[in-house]
Amino acid sequence: MEAVFFYLFAAATLLCGFLVIANPFSRNPVTSAMFLVLTIVSLAGLFVLLHAFFLAAVQVLVYAGAVMVLFLFVIMLLDLQAEERRSFKKLALAGGGLAVVVIALLAHAAVRESPLGTAAPPMVEGSPRALGKLLFTEYLLPFEILSVLLLVAMVGVILLSRKEAK
Amino acid sequence: MNPFSYLEALRLAAPETALAVAALAVLFADLGGMRGESLRHRAILGAGITAVGGAMALLWLGFAPGYGTIAEGVLVTSPLTQLVKAGLVLLTLLVAGLSLDPRFTGHVGEYFSLLLLGTIGMMVLVSTQDLLMLFLALELTSLPLYVLAGFNKRDRASAEAALKYFFFGSVAAAFLLFGFSLLYGVAGSTRLPVIAAAVALKPPDALTLVALVCVVMGFGFKVAAVPFHLWAPDAYEGAPTPAAAFIASGSKVASFAVFGIVLAQGLGPMAGGADWHGFTTGWLPLLAVVALASMLLGNLAAIAQRSVKRLLAYSAIAHAGYLLLGLMALATPANRPAALAAILYYAITYALSTVGAFGIVAVVERATGSDAADGFNGLARRSPALALCLMIFLLSLAGIPPLAGFLGKFYVFVAATRAGDGSLSLFWLVLVAIALSVVSLYYYLKLLKRAYVLPPDGAVPATRPDVMEFVVIGMTAAAVLGLGVFPRALLEPLALAIQQAGF
Repeated sequence: MEAVFFYLFAAATLLCGFLVIANPFSRNPVTSAMFLVLTIVSLAGLFVLLHAFFLAAVQVLVYAGAVMVLFLFVIMLLDLQAEERRSFKKLALAGGGLAVVVIALLAHAAVRESPLGTAAPPMVEGSPRALGKLLFTEYLLPFEILSVLLLVAMVGVILLSRKEAK
Repeated sequence: MNPFSYLEALRLAAPETALAVAALAVLFADLGGMRGESLRHRAILGAGITAVGGAMALLWLGFAPGYGTIAEGVLVTSPLTQLVKAGLVLLTLLVAGLSLDPRFTGHVGEYFSLLLLGTIGMMVLVSTQDLLMLFLALELTSLPLYVLAGFNKRDRASAEAALKYFFFGSVAAAFLLFGFSLLYGVAGSTRLPVIAAAVALKPPDALTLVALVCVVMGFGFKVAAVPFHLWAPDAYEGAPTPAAAFIASGSKVASFAVFGIVLAQGLGPMAGGADWHGFTTGWLPLLAVVALASMLLGNLAAIAQRSVKRLLAYSAIAHAGYLLLGLMALATPANRPAALAAILYYAITYALSTVGAFGIVAVVERATGSDAADGFNGLARRSPALALCLMIFLLSLAGIPPLAGFLGKFYVFVAATRAGDGSLSLFWLVLVAIALSVVSLYYYLKLLKRAYVLPPDGAVPATRPDVMEFVVIGMTAAAVLGLGVFPRALLEPLALAIQQAGF
């Protein structure tokens, strides 16, 4: 039963992820953004299968909810007509295709030579309590570094996006 | 697991905390109280707070060094890490000293706070044994550098530099993360010693090799090694000169240190071999190819450059090649302490001479309006002291005794020759490196010829560094000369620290 859901969510994630960047039916950025929402929701499904219920909820609330609303705002504020009219370059397509084929071959070889383990998947303690405990003990310093990183991103974005007074 | 001690964590991370506080103080002081002041005053205040924060961190590192491990290797401090961190803070202070005349921007507070925050990233980078922390620290090192490269918003080249740096950087980071995730899959842990134990169990298979290639790509980007070097010339040329000095110095030292730590302590068992006729699978042949390509392309492309910043970028690529040679010497466990000392000595002295060289470029750039090599014509007549310092830096980069660059190359080459338990397996690469060092002399001397032999072009305005620039350039020149004459001043503490760190 779990395996069925795993393959279902995994396939949905991959398919929607592909449609985000290369949708053959629509070049509209809003469609891409909506498929990104679907990708995120499918990922949340995978988290549920790992018993990480809290992460799944946060994934939907924060990413599919808050972050995507901002994404859509920005997309609608910017004029992206040019993007819709732009056609694929043949060379770029060929290069991308080649890269995909090579990486697929590599991944195939890697998985064939190193067979996947048959051990039972580890039980993840996904409760907010367990997560909070980890974040404030073992992963406290990475957590702090991440917050500094976000500060850098914030300063950088405000600095670079502001119009300079001549 | 031991109970987590917050006090212990704060004690071990105190230098980083001091810098973080200083970064926030700069930001608030500049945004809060200095709105109406002149750029010069704001820069002096920013650099002042940066210096205070850096001095606090240095004092802590020097007089109250705490050694220990947090959460099984998330943060590890040893005499070695503290020594490297002190070097990184010093380099940042030198760069801050070059930044007192920030004509490229009106956002002084952000500039200095990003310098400090980037330094925190570098410091954490060299003192962790955990892949997760390592990746975060690497991002914290890179992100401020991207922004600093694009700091001059009135200049298209600066924006181009930032964009190219950012695109290459994000792709490299993605590869690195992919490699790390595969390593985690192999070992079931993100701790380097556990990974070393896991890869030692069996000969490298396809999975670990894919991981290895991804990791080498990620770090290869950070150290600007061919073929991951494409960002370097544009980033160095377009970035504001003090920012370029920062990109070229501290982040290089930190990246090479952490690359060495990952290769030696995490992937040591899968080194392979890079004998001239007998490549065997592992990271040695990979690094051999990358080092060879870096030395060849860096040295040959530098000859054709007309912009001095681009010349320094290609010379940086070449130096990355020599340093990779030093990293390859880490493959032999018995050889490790000497090789690591050689790498760090080389990286630190290289960073010093690069900061000094960029300082001179900044001064000349301000006088002539560009960093073209023509602007250096007749520098000796316009400013003999600057020309003398330029000679010291360039000859050190070329590796002429008695300057530090010569000894750095010497130690690295000796370490590489001794690799492989006296079988001279890397000797062919050392020969190539020596031959290409001779090539490098040509383009360094060409620039010196402009400074000393050619007459100045027409009416060039006086080329005078301001006080702090003069102090920084003079200090780095003295350090490059001093460490060349008395290498033990740096090598002995390094050797002692490496021994105490148990390498």
